[in-house]
Amino acid sequence: MKIQKLLKILTLITSAIALTTTSLWIGKQAYSWLPPEAAAESRLVDDLFSFLVTLGAFIFLGVTGTLMYSIIFHRAKKGEICDGPPIEGNVTLEVVWTAIPILLVFWIAGYSYQIYEQMGIQGPNHLMHLHMPMGMESAYAEPIEDKGTRRQGDKGNILDSFSASFEVASNSEPVEQIDVLAKQWAWVFHYPEKNVTSTELHLPSDRRVRLALQSEDVLHGFYVPAFRLKQDIVPNETINFEFTPIRSGKYRLTDSQYSGTYFATMQADVVVESPEDYHQWLAKAATHKPSPASNQAASEYAQVVNQSFPTGWATVAPAEPPVVNYPG
Amino acid sequence: MTNISIESIGIANEQSHHDIPDNWKRYFSFSTDHKVIGIQYLVTSFIFFLVGGIFAMVIRGELMTPESDLVDRTIYNGMFTMHGTVMLFLWTFPSLVGLANYLVPLMIGARDMAFPRLNAAAFWMVPVVGILLMASFFVPGGPAQAGWWSYPPVSLQNPTGNLINGQVIWLLAVAISGVSSIMGAVNFVTTIVKMRAPGMSFFRMPLFVWAVFSAQIIQLFGLPALTAGAVMLLLDLTVGTGFFDPANGGNPVMFQHYFWFYSHPAVYVIILPIFGIFSEIFPVYARKPLFGYKVVAVSSLLIAVVSAIVWVHHMYVSGTPGWMRMIFMLTTMLVSVPTGIKVFAWVATIWGGRMRLTTPMLFALGGLVLFVFAGIVGIMLSSVPVDVHVNNTYFVVGHFHYVLYGTVTMGMYAAIYHWFPKMTGRMYYEGLGKLHFWLAFIGTNLNFFPMHPLGLQGMLRRVASYAPDAGYEFWNIVASVGAFLLGMSTLPFILNMIGAWTIGEKAPDNPWQAIGLEWEVSSPPPVENFEEIPVVVSEPYGYGKSEPLTAKTH
Amino acid sequence: MDSYIISEDLQLHQTEHSHDEEGNKMFGFIVFLLSESVIFLSFFAGYIVYKTTTPNWLPPGVEGLEVVAPAINTAVLVASSFVIYFAERALQRHNLWGFRLYLLATMAMGSYFLFGQAVEWNSLEFSLTSGAFGGMFYLLTGFHGLHVLTGILLQLIIFVRSFIPGNYDSGHFGVNATSLFWHFVDVIWIILFVLLYVWQ
Ligand code: HEA
Ligand code: HEA
Ligand code: CUA
Ligand SMILES: [Cu+2]
Repeated sequence: MKIQKLLKILTLITSAIALTTTSLWIGKQAYSWLPPEAAAESRLVDDLFSFLVTLGAFIFLGVTGTLMYSIIFHRAKKGEICDGPPIEGNVTLEVVWTAIPILLVFWIAGYSYQIYEQMGIQGPNHLMHLHMPMGMESAYAEPIEDKGTRRQGDKGNILDSFSASFEVASNSEPVEQIDVLAKQWAWVFHYPEKNVTSTELHLPSDRRVRLALQSEDVLHGFYVPAFRLKQDIVPNETINFEFTPIRSGKYRLTDSQYSGTYFATMQADVVVESPEDYHQWLAKAATHKPSPASNQAASEYAQVVNQSFPTGWATVAPAEPPVVNYPG
Repeated sequence: MTNISIESIGIANEQSHHDIPDNWKRYFSFSTDHKVIGIQYLVTSFIFFLVGGIFAMVIRGELMTPESDLVDRTIYNGMFTMHGTVMLFLWTFPSLVGLANYLVPLMIGARDMAFPRLNAAAFWMVPVVGILLMASFFVPGGPAQAGWWSYPPVSLQNPTGNLINGQVIWLLAVAISGVSSIMGAVNFVTTIVKMRAPGMSFFRMPLFVWAVFSAQIIQLFGLPALTAGAVMLLLDLTVGTGFFDPANGGNPVMFQHYFWFYSHPAVYVIILPIFGIFSEIFPVYARKPLFGYKVVAVSSLLIAVVSAIVWVHHMYVSGTPGWMRMIFMLTTMLVSVPTGIKVFAWVATIWGGRMRLTTPMLFALGGLVLFVFAGIVGIMLSSVPVDVHVNNTYFVVGHFHYVLYGTVTMGMYAAIYHWFPKMTGRMYYEGLGKLHFWLAFIGTNLNFFPMHPLGLQGMLRRVASYAPDAGYEFWNIVASVGAFLLGMSTLPFILNMIGAWTIGEKAPDNPWQAIGLEWEVSSPPPVENFEEIPVVVSEPYGYGKSEPLTAKTH
Repeated sequence: MDSYIISEDLQLHQTEHSHDEEGNKMFGFIVFLLSESVIFLSFFAGYIVYKTTTPNWLPPGVEGLEVVAPAINTAVLVASSFVIYFAERALQRHNLWGFRLYLLATMAMGSYFLFGQAVEWNSLEFSLTSGAFGGMFYLLTGFHGLHVLTGILLQLIIFVRSFIPGNYDSGHFGVNATSLFWHFVDVIWIILFVLLYVWQ
């Protein structure tokens, strides 16, 4: 009898350990499912995501593992018709499985809140005319080598981020201001500093960037997967959006809020470069004469209009291709 | 054609009084019998499921390659709009209402719904909605192309300039569907509150009835908000008011609040009856009482209540201030508590049972596993920083197909197989059923799992084309192959249903040795359900306890 | 299982039909009204948000709304709620003519309200398409007006039906429901009046 009980406890402990290690391992894999981390915010989001994957894997494997065990070992034999034990409930168990999710929820919500604060996504607070000083602190550009240690994804990491959440460095770097105009279906970027316009977004790295998002017609969305950042753009509103690119390279900006027929074509390149290169580029672009950029929506539309036999339905006509200093 | 099994029960007398018009014609007539209406709902909605599925096949066909090459972009946009609309308004809602229609009066020991004629009227609006939506393909400009959310200003752009256009028809159809749902909700709530058999107290009701009750309460407080928003959108579209049109001083984000105030709770309208189905099926095939019956019952109501205060999680990036994001993040996550209670209760019900893996049980188990996966992904979505990244990507599409197909549609199949002998008096073919399950289960995962990595990589939803250099192709092809497999999986089901209904083996009254009022009447039940209204003397799910459910009065 | 059981069943059935059905109908009607009130609540919530967030709330040239005439209108509508209550009471005391007279009075007051509303609409210098304010104003008053009209039509129906002999043998559901609906319309108007005219 005693040995049986011991064995039972042993199996339980073993499976708990197996479950935990598997979940931690899966959580670590989560980083590789995501695009490169090109903004300070990306890293914060990835840590949170990895944490959620770890916890999620633990819950999923725990529940389905128990189910699988039952399915395999608690089967009725062929032709057997007797009933199982008439257990109707167990108060302790029910209290436990109500309390644990509640605690988990507060843990997840608290952690998400901290990450959110650090990201300092400057949500359009003015939209509802209700100002709340929430989420105003900035994410900061950490030195890249930090990445290696973070990726270890050991359990301490999750707990660390609890206490580490308020180590937000005040970012005294100048803020780069750029205007973003979205319309059906093109992006136009305006750099007030040199009064330059472009259809390719250039950003200095390791600088806080502030975009002023505006739309000419319908809802659009500013989304760069490598930055993990997204914000809808609402007509008649100017939405300020701040973040810090940290990794040089070429990324893609897409319209993330469905905007009609040529929605899928509304993409632009994003070039993150060192501040020196960035200013060089600005200066060079300022010397260019404005010229019409190529625009996929406009050219596809021109094709459709010239078709002798219509293959689709009527559509809103795209705006003229934007005329900019730097057509990309 | 088919005849009732007179030999199975001595209802010859009852027959002379109310004979069972067991002929197929009554399913095409204006019947007020809740069982006929229930089956009418189920069959109609399944036909629209196939229609919506064909739209999905076009979508998956287009996405096999990065370029927009299979259909024109406008057609692709019409496809996903109509796919979402048909699947939600013509498949999930009506099929669940149909099932509830069939089962609720039987389960609570009533002869019919409280308002039989209202019931029939509500049903006949469903084909009207369907015909309107299908007709919109043939108006100039084609059907609505603004997605199933119909967010303005895109939904207000009317390139043909016609007053009768796809978007207007779409709004009308949704409004009619709303009226039908409200009629149904009033009927269900009244039936459940007022028509229970003697002894059937609230805490003796089967959990399916609890779930339907909770779901219908959501309809009652949620649908009016959608109606309000739809009326305003229609006015903007037709007479040029300025509610949502920024060009006329309107605020497009307001529409989103109206829309999601209903459409979020709507997903719980859909899932709650499925939870109810799980709660019915697990005890039967695990041969154990439902674990924690009362807590599970109350958690349905709790879900209904919490569902009213989470809608902004669909609008985190819509221009929502930070404080709102944080509040709604917490409320959204709290839904996992009552939901978790249910999940754990089911697992505990199955634990240590005498499990029989029949087709309904397989579908229910599969649905449960896929639900836990989907729910956990839902919790990730509810976390604002993560959602900011994955919002409007295939990660979301993956989440909701795991619930809408993996849980809801699988759960619906479980229910259809489980109650098929009751509804038709025939047995389905177990082998075909199991084939259907495995095709559907594998197909679902092949189809919808790849959407998660795609979304994490940044692939947007509602795109007819994607960048060829972004590395999205592989997972898209897997998803499309899975989708075609999933499409094929419906064939054994259709074959099974038609074959069994026409030439299947006759079913006994209670083929599963299940406990419940619906299993105490003949298969199919007589027109008036119960010769004599039963008197309920114990809680449901008394498996292994050998106590009677009803008092024998004769 | 003999014919005795069946006749008993039939009897049970009939009493069930006649008795419970009244109760069910009233219950269902109340559920429906609760649901209906959410439409108004949604419009009210929308109005409040629009009013507090729209930069140029009133259309150019519009100063505000005239309050006196609508206030009189309000008084008439509120009073009519009491009148229909008297009608109900009269019916309960089987005073058919009293019932009809009170009912006619209610209908007259309701019609006066609609008339007053029409006059007001005619005198306004903004329209349905004058931004969010114009839209909201006409939407709220129009949607409520439709309900008043429905109420009057219901009253007309129960008025006509009161001449059918034996109409009240199976209960007063129609009258009670109409009366309840009228109170509902009344309460909605009071909130509407406060939102639109008092809170300017
Ligand atoms: C029946 C349908 C259904 C159901 C049940 C759910 C359930 C949930 N959904 Fe889902 N959802 C949809 C259908 C559904 N959803 C649809 C259709 C959309 C997209 C619409 C569109 O955009 O077109 C959507 C979109 C959607 C979004 C918006 C994403 C975006 O657009 O950016 C979010 C965000 O929070 C979300 C969250 C959730 C959560 C938290 C749950 C929870 O209810 C899940 C709770 C369940 C569990 C958590 C698992 C079981 C619990 C346990 C085992 C306990 C322990 C667990 C923990 C403590 C975590 N859903
Ligand atoms: C219950 C709801 C439900 C169900 C069951 C499904 C089922 C499926 N959905 Fe669903 N989907 C939605 C609800 C649903 N969907 C919603 C709400 C949206 C959002 C819309 C929007 O963005 O506005 C969406 C969007 C959506 C997209 C995103 C489109 C985009 O954003 O661009 C995709 C892409 O792959 C997709 C695919 C599928 C597939 C492959 C299935 C498969 O499960 C379908 C399987 C196919 C069948 C079951 C049909 C089988 C029939 C045959 C093979 C023919 C046989 C014919 C006869 C016998 C006559 N859906
Ligand atoms: Cu009608 Cu018995
Ligand atoms: Cu939701």
